[in-house]
Amino acid sequence: MEELLRMEHITKKFGDVYANRNINLDVRKGEVHTLLGENGAGKSTLMNVLFGLYQPTEGTIYLHGKPVRIESPAQAVKLGIGMVHQHFMLVEAMTVFENIILGDRNTKGIFINHDARKKEILELSERYGLDVELDKPITDIAVGAQQRVEILKALYRGADLLVLDEPSAALTDQEVEGLFDIMHKLTSEGKSIIFISHKMREVLHISDRITILRAGETVCTLNRDETTGEELANLMIGRELTPSHYEKIENPGEAVVALENVDYDKTSKHNGLNGVSLTVGRGEIVGIAGVDGNGQSQLAQVVTGVLTPDAGRVDLKGSHVAQFTPNGFILESVSHIPEDRNKMGLIGNMSVRDNIVLKSTDTPEFSAAHGLFLKKKAIRDYALKMQEKYDIRCSSIDQEARNLSGGNQQKIILARELEGKPDLLVAVHPTRGLDIGATRFVHDTMIEARDRGCGVLLISADFDEILEVSDRIVVMFEGQVMGVFSGKNPPIADISLAMAGK
Amino acid sequence: MKHTNRIVNLLVPIVSVLLSFVIGCIIMAALGANPATALQSLWIGAFGTMRNVGTTLSRATPLIFTALCACFAYRCGVFNLGGEGQFLMGAIVSCVISTQLGITGLPAIILCLIAGALAGGVWALIAGVLRVFRGQNEMIISIMLNYVATLFMGVIYTSWLRDGSVPQTVAVPDETQLSRLGDLRATTAFILALVVGLLVYYFLFHTSKGFQLRAVGLNMTAAQFNGFAVKKFILMSFIVSGAIAGLGGSADLLGTQFRLINGYGSGYGFDGVAMALIAQLHPIAAIVVAIFFAALRVGSTTMQAATGVPTSVSDIIQALVIVFTVAGLAMVKLPQFRAVIDRMATKSVQKKEAV
Repeated sequence: MEELLRMEHITKKFGDVYANRNINLDVRKGEVHTLLGENGAGKSTLMNVLFGLYQPTEGTIYLHGKPVRIESPAQAVKLGIGMVHQHFMLVEAMTVFENIILGDRNTKGIFINHDARKKEILELSERYGLDVELDKPITDIAVGAQQRVEILKALYRGADLLVLDEPSAALTDQEVEGLFDIMHKLTSEGKSIIFISHKMREVLHISDRITILRAGETVCTLNRDETTGEELANLMIGRELTPSHYEKIENPGEAVVALENVDYDKTSKHNGLNGVSLTVGRGEIVGIAGVDGNGQSQLAQVVTGVLTPDAGRVDLKGSHVAQFTPNGFILESVSHIPEDRNKMGLIGNMSVRDNIVLKSTDTPEFSAAHGLFLKKKAIRDYALKMQEKYDIRCSSIDQEARNLSGGNQQKIILARELEGKPDLLVAVHPTRGLDIGATRFVHDTMIEARDRGCGVLLISADFDEILEVSDRIVVMFEGQVMGVFSGKNPPIADISLAMAGK
Repeated sequence: MKHTNRIVNLLVPIVSVLLSFVIGCIIMAALGANPATALQSLWIGAFGTMRNVGTTLSRATPLIFTALCACFAYRCGVFNLGGEGQFLMGAIVSCVISTQLGITGLPAIILCLIAGALAGGVWALIAGVLRVFRGQNEMIISIMLNYVATLFMGVIYTSWLRDGSVPQTVAVPDETQLSRLGDLRATTAFILALVVGLLVYYFLFHTSKGFQLRAVGLNMTAAQFNGFAVKKFILMSFIVSGAIAGLGGSADLLGTQFRLINGYGSGYGFDGVAMALIAQLHPIAAIVVAIFFAALRVGSTTMQAATGVPTSVSDIIQALVIVFTVAGLAMVKLPQFRAVIDRMATKSVQKKEAV
């Protein structure tokens, strides 16, 4: 088959960090080429380079054998590259037709010849089986149809190469089947597709060839017929088990929290829980592994009282939880390191000091007469003590929390959540965006809490982190528990397969 | 860092006031008056004699209440634009109690003030309940409720409690009126406003619940995750801010207004919002700003009589102060501006270290 695109030795550096390092990718005419990799493996960066959003630090892109420089998305479109983003870029108040002709540079003159355009679009949609209703506003059509509009838009602008970024993420199973039919039609008409997905099932079903990225580098390119799910999963996770720094516990104490068949919005595959049963014992760290957006956020919010489950039973320290409020869980000494520290964890416009005592100003330690009088000096002294103990680096404890670096912000939250000696700690992506030193500090702190008898529920998209600290590993996929594995000598291949939904 | 922030936040309104006066002076000069004399007569009109000071403080009193009302709600992150309606409901209830129940004197005053605060609180709570339990926009609801309150007052002074042929209610009996502060025109209502301002300040900055309320106002999601009952705080802030405005209406009626008439209270709510914003939601600053605006209003009459500069020039200055402050506060939040400030701050620190 004829080669359409070749990306050679693509390197993209952000500061000192390599997002892509010496990546090679070639896409042939009429093939579905899958990019497979974990979060942060460099897939999005590579596609942004291809689409002209980033300029590569090194490397060359060839289209039809000729080297090209792609300096903007407009130029990428001109060269016949179409991108369907995971989050659709449609103007919701406009009709399908208006969205498709929007930004079309071929229009000459002021007026749009609607009838001619419509005819062209209808021809395209019939040819590729992209069934859409042109006169409906975007808000009135289903997600699957919106995706077809995005594809049609790209084709209408003359795309020969389509990049589909996790196209199945928002779709129902039937819609996914429909999408695959369309993809087959497109390739049989000579179009090429770069398909980005985490889901092994789909990848094996639709791809012709598969390129695996790991930590910003190409691992290899394989033919679909010559590989298996196990092999792909291993290549994607791609690591020999590095021994953990920490000793793993095998016999935890009695359950701090126990979930039994908990449902939350269970028809939603990516933001719901479907029959989840799980326990966290005293003195153990349970790591939830899984690709982001498989119900982990909802799990964290159920066990901290932010969300009320639709069905099932939650027991906290042996007693049944009847009412789900964050305060109720806090009173049962459940601590929470939320996934978004700026949005959920900190009051950015308040000082470091205020954020440290945020939860405890009602206690007699910090206020007299049932909160009627804040003991400012006690608060200040305590905050200074915590600043030292948790090594929070700021110009003063009066500095606004939003002006601190991510690592120091996280330390504020750690100081607040761990100093009360919780019975259960729910930590969601606790080291996201932190450097190695800060990450190590967070891990040490969690292990310390565990050894004190605290149960820890760790949710992370960073598989290394899960392997490093978890005593038990639970894999979640589409809101369901796919398997429970020991954290001591974890079976990596099985875990990665479970993460991919097999 | 904190200090530079404070200085900047204090400088913005001061610079805005100066700029507004400069432009005001240009307008005065264009009108053929001597700006210096005009400003002097403006000052004399507002603070020149004890009598004028009294007038200024009495004009400031209702504005202080509505400004505090806005401060309190905004600190909790909800936009109560219904200060005027809540103010009027307080005045209406006090008018009915003081003229219809047959009680007079101190018991009547206390009853009026309590009932006025309650009425304002309940009136604001309507917007609060619709916001919290039905997700409605509290700004629109509270503005609409202003019209309802104004028209309700209309029914009272034109028909139910009409005083003879004039479209106004009967006056509050002499014994139920608030006493004046010595010879001043200002009454104990002004003292009450100061006390409420101090209480609001104390609550917001020195109590645990006030601290939590501010946290809710700055980041509702984080407040919820940290276990605060966000809905309760929102409802409470509506009730309290409405009660402050209602108390203001009640005190103003018993202190200076005495009867409900056409146009009473008009503009107080939005004036209060503007003043709260200039004061950057600080209750003590709000009191100062309210007195400043009242002075501009009171002084402008003297200015017109003495120099022929129309009072509308004072209105222009007031409007410019609001525009400049709001624009200035938006400006100092820009990252470019922050960068300049930070650079200056580091430089001054380095200089100090070098010395």
